[in-house]
This record gives sequence, C-alpha cells and structure tokens, in this order.
Amino acid sequence: MIPATTKQNIQVKPRKYHNKFRFKNGLIGWAFISIATVMICIFYFYPMVQALILSFKSGAGTNLQFVGLDNYLRLFTDPTFIAALKNTVIYLIIQVPIMIILAMLISVLLNNKKLKLKGFFRTAIFLPCITSLVAYSVVFKYLFATDGIINKMLINVSLISEPIQWLTDPFWAKVTIIIAITWRWTGYNMIFYLSALQNVDHSIYEAAKIDGANAFQQFFKITIPMLKPIILFTSITSTIGTLQLFDEVMNITKGGPGTATLTISQYIYNLSFKYTPDFGYAATVSYAVVIMIVFFSILQFKAAGDKNA
Amino acid sequence: MKKLLVLLMMSMLLLAACSSGASNSNESEEGSDSNQITIWAWDPKFNIKAIELAKEAYASVNPDLKINVIENGQRDIVQKLNTSLSSGTSKGLPNIVLIEDYRAKSFLEAYPDMFQPLTGSFKTEDFVPYKVEATSVNGENYGLPFDTGVTGLYVRTDYLAEAGFTIEDLQNIDWKEYIEIGKKVKEATGKRLLTLDPNELGFLRTMIQSAGKWYVKEDGTTPDLANNEAVKRSFEIYKELVDNDLMNFHSDWNQFLATFNGGEVATVSTGNWITPSIKAEASQSGKWAVVPHPSLPGMESVNASNLGGASWYVLNVPGKEKAVDFLTKTFGSNVDLYQKLVTDIGVIGTYIPATKGEAYKTGDEFFGGQAIISDFSKWAEEIPQVNYGMHTYAIEDILIVAMQNYLGGQDLDKVLKDAQQQAEMQIK
Repeated sequence: MIPATTKQNIQVKPRKYHNKFRFKNGLIGWAFISIATVMICIFYFYPMVQALILSFKSGAGTNLQFVGLDNYLRLFTDPTFIAALKNTVIYLIIQVPIMIILAMLISVLLNNKKLKLKGFFRTAIFLPCITSLVAYSVVFKYLFATDGIINKMLINVSLISEPIQWLTDPFWAKVTIIIAITWRWTGYNMIFYLSALQNVDHSIYEAAKIDGANAFQQFFKITIPMLKPIILFTSITSTIGTLQLFDEVMNITKGGPGTATLTISQYIYNLSFKYTPDFGYAATVSYAVVIMIVFFSILQFKAAGDKNA
Repeated sequence: MKKLLVLLMMSMLLLAACSSGASNSNESEEGSDSNQITIWAWDPKFNIKAIELAKEAYASVNPDLKINVIENGQRDIVQKLNTSLSSGTSKGLPNIVLIEDYRAKSFLEAYPDMFQPLTGSFKTEDFVPYKVEATSVNGENYGLPFDTGVTGLYVRTDYLAEAGFTIEDLQNIDWKEYIEIGKKVKEATGKRLLTLDPNELGFLRTMIQSAGKWYVKEDGTTPDLANNEAVKRSFEIYKELVDNDLMNFHSDWNQFLATFNGGEVATVSTGNWITPSIKAEASQSGKWAVVPHPSLPGMESVNASNLGGASWYVLNVPGKEKAVDFLTKTFGSNVDLYQKLVTDIGVIGTYIPATKGEAYKTGDEFFGGQAIISDFSKWAEEIPQVNYGMHTYAIEDILIVAMQNYLGGQDLDKVLKDAQQQAEMQIK
C-alpha cells in the first residue's frame, strides 16, 4: 500500500512538467517524421492508390478505359496467369521446405562447439547471399547450359549418357530454377537459425545428454521445438520471396520453355513491357500478388501470435 | 536551441529539394535546344554505326545540327518509351527512335499523336512494300524503313557435299524437301540440320510470312491461329524436325552462335543480320553459301521471308522538323550512304534505288564468291506483305506454350484452338 501512494504523489508534479515538454518534444518529433511521412505518402501510398485505380482500367498504352471488375475476373480465366501461379506454388511446395531443412541442418552443424574453421564455413555458406541476383543467374545459366560444366561433369562420371536439357525442358528448367534459388537463399535463412540456436540454453542439451538422449532425439525433441518461431518466420518470408521471384527466372530461362518457369512478377513485366502495354491488367496482377502476400502475412501474425503473446 | 536545429535541418532539406529541382529543369531545357536532336538506337556495331555514317553524310547538308546518339539495349528502349509515353510527358524523349517492326504498331496505336507522320516526306514506292506496310497505320506512314530482316538459308556446302548434295539441289526448295535432305546429311555427317531456341518462334514467323500469313488477320487485331493453314503446316514441320532429331536446341544467343561457329549444325535459317556472326568464324571461310528460304509445302508460298528488321520513327516533340529532315535526306534518299552501309557494316537497306549500286553486286569470298547482298535484296522485294498488328509477342508467347503441348503429344487442332481462344481473350 505504502509504495503505491508514494508513487501517486510523485506522479502529480512531473505530469504537469511533462505535459509542457511532451508537447514541445512531440512537436519536434513530429517535425522530424513529417518529412519521412510526406515522402512515404507521395512515393509509396500515392502510387499504391493510383495502381489500385489503374487495376480497374484496361487498354493499350494510354488508351485506358474503366472496365470495372473485368480485369479481376480475367485473372481466373487467364491460362498464363494460372500457369504462373502454378509455377510459383510448385516452387513454394518444393523449394521452401528443401531450403528450410538445409538451412536448419547446416546451422546445427555450424553451431557445433568443436567445429574448427567455423568462421570460414559460415562465410562460405552466407556468401551466395551477397552476390547480385543478375550476376549469379547468368553464371547459373552457363553452368546449366546443354554444353555447360554440370552436364560435362555428369557425363564424365557416367551418371548420364545424353546431356540433360536443363534450360529447355519444362521439367528440368524448373529443377534448375529451384537449385539456383536454393543456392542463393539457404545461407540467408541459415543466419536466422544460427542466431536462434545461439540463444538456446546449452544446459538443456546437457540435461538431455544426461538423460541419455542421442543426437537425433536432441535434434527433433529440442532443437526443432526451440526453433519453431524462426521456422515459421523463415517459411513466411521465403513464401513472400517466392511470390516476388523475378530476376532468376528472367535471366536463366526467361520464363520458358513456354510458361514452364514463368513467375507472376515476370508476367507483370511481360504485360507491361514485352507485349503491347496493358498497364491496367498488369496492375491487377500486381494486386493479386498483394492480396496473396497480405494473406500470408496475416497467417504469419496469427500463427506467431499464439507463441509470442 | 532544438527548435533552431529543426528549422535549420528542415530548411536544408527544402533547399536541397529545390536546388535539385532547379538543376533538373535546366537539363531538360538544354535537351530541347533548337539546334540539336537526339536519337535512340541499339546495337553499337550495326544501328549505331549506321547513324554515325548518316551523320557524316548529313554534315554536308546542315553542318550546324548537333546530333546526339544514345545507345541503349532494345529492351531498355522499349521500356523507356513505354514509361515515358504513358506518363504523358514528352520530357526526356528522343527526337528519333529505332523500333523493331514487330513492335511498331503496338507503339503507334497505343500512343496516338505521340509520333510524327512522315507521309509525303519520302517516296514510299522506293522502299520494299512489306516494309512500308509494317511502318504505317491507317494509311499514314510513320516510319522511315531501315534494314531488312530478309531471310536466307545459310548452308554448309562441305556437309552437303559429304551427303552428295550441291547448293543447286537447295535452290527454291520447300520445307519437306529440306527435311529429306536433312535426314541424308545427318546420316552422312552426324550433324543436325539447324538449331533453335524453343522459347522463341522466330522460325515459325518466317515460315508463315513466306505464305503471306501472320498471327493475326489482315486487320491486325483478330487472332488467326485455329484456322490458319500456314500456322498449322509450320507446326507440323517443326514437329517433324524435332521427331527426326534434326533440331538442336539452344537457350540463348551465345549458345546459338557457338552452335554454328563450332560446326554443330548443317544450316542456319534466319535473317541476313546473322552474316557477320557467321563470318566471325574465319576458319569456315568458303564452306558456307546462302540459298533462298524454303517455302511452305502444299500452299501458296514464296521462297522469301523476313525475320526482324527495324525502322526509324520521329516523335512528336520539339525539333521534329529537323529530325524529319535528317532522316529523309539520309536514309530516305541517299544512295551513296546505302553503299557505305553495305561495305562498312553489312546493313542491307530496303531502299530499292540503292540496290543498283556497285557495293551490292560485290561477291563475298567467305561465301565462295557469292554476291549475297544482291541475292538478299532480290529476295527482299519478294517478301509478302502482312499486317504485323500490335500483338506479335503476346500471341507468340501463347503459341510457344501451344508448341510445347503439341510436341508433347497433344492434338494439333486442339492446341491451336486453345491458343486461339486464349489469344482472343487476351487481346481485346
């Protein structure tokens, strides 16, 4: 009781004193953010609103007309959009789990206290992440060319007799893209796991060891549960990343053969710049991506909220 | 004190914003200076060189005009034009721009009033007809025709000889005969007939244009796929080439070059602009010849077609009169310039009076002394004119998928019907 009353007494005076200052401080604070706010409004929200309006229009170049919801209805019957969406989902279902599991395994290996040259390995695995998207895509294109080094290697070790059409066969082209993005992003996700693992109390493992748990049990019963929030976080960010996939596909296969590797972002590019520009429909496709990303983000907040709140 | 600091920072920011704005406006004023024009084009070894030659030629007409040539990749030019034109401001736009023929109508119709009509400022009858058609909309000429993409069949005479053929056997053949020859060549030499990028149907485009057909009907907007005899036959030939393992696949330009420079294929069927790349492999000198493009069997079709090619367009921005004058007095009428274009760069123009010049008749040692320029110009005049319309690349992407399905075993009529439906929905 007593401490509570004293607290109240003390609070009376400073509040007045605070109010004056809070107002002044507030004003200065607002002045600082006002510039950023105005900039964000002009360069971020205004284009977003304009794009939304644009997504209800259609036509070639500047001859745009309001078409209401036609563009959105067109999405559902547009085979190219559906193909792009399908490809994206395939990348998601196959590539994201592979990458997450790889990242987790590597991070556990690198977290080993007895490991020598730890810094070297960490750098080596994270290095792909700092290479430019375009640069690495071009390199991959040459690695996986029909007469590229990958095919030469596979032939020389007698795994295959005919070169694999990595870039021109619908199935293998998808495989190439998946390999490329896995190489590029595994290290990035690994960093999250590594930092999370370093926050796991070592005594838990010691206790497990004393109780006779083997390495597998430790991994599945301790490491994975402890990493759950990070697994969720990385899968959501990877999902969003996959939805926005552009550079790799554009540079390695150009979306081909046919639409076998086309992504939604590349379709937006094609609609605006490759074909006779239909900016209206391109904006509609962009908003379809926005809706999907919002959906996944809500999913993340909901799922992560349970654990963190 | 703090207030003062805030004020100071705010004013600094504002000043920075103002000053950058001011410098921008200065630049654009410079751009619209009355005595200079700007040209955008791609390919420094081809188009840019051609403008440089035109600049030299124009110096005697009007030495005061300053001509700025800006080199950008074709994709960048398309992107820049689309963004600038759709924003509705003419700032930053060039006076003259090079546009690929397949894309020209897309720009002309998507951005009406932004291009300057050239009707009457040059003699259209002096240019090959298909090119004039490609550069006009509603009877108005907008583009000054530049290079031709007239196609030919580049063949390795040494491979043919091994299989017992001479180039006489390949004159004016159709694709069926070509495939039969190809089978024998493959038997004798083990080399495939040709190499293609499955992601690009330029090959198909050349086949259907030789029959006077396109992806769209003559109006330029109605998709013409399901009942298009030429498309159907071209699909069948494509599949036959693949099924007989006569087709090699590459996935980009460098692989394309490497395939024929490395002697992997017996023929190359493409536009004449490939000549410098063929000749780049000096060790194959004398082993190549160019024969007329095969025709489509079983229907009316000529032994000539086109792939690519571009034309010059004048934008409706200040300085357009000067730009028109520059174009018409160089590419529009200067026969000597066209001779230089041939000898210095290898650009085959579409200006008919120029073909009488000496440079066109010279034989090329690389091709066994064949006067390829004169052959190409002769074929160029036979190319059937078609209305490319504004949706070539949109429809082509649909057809690429259709081709994949067809090669995968689906019924031809069905894939073309599906393609037709999709195209009708996409281009309204």
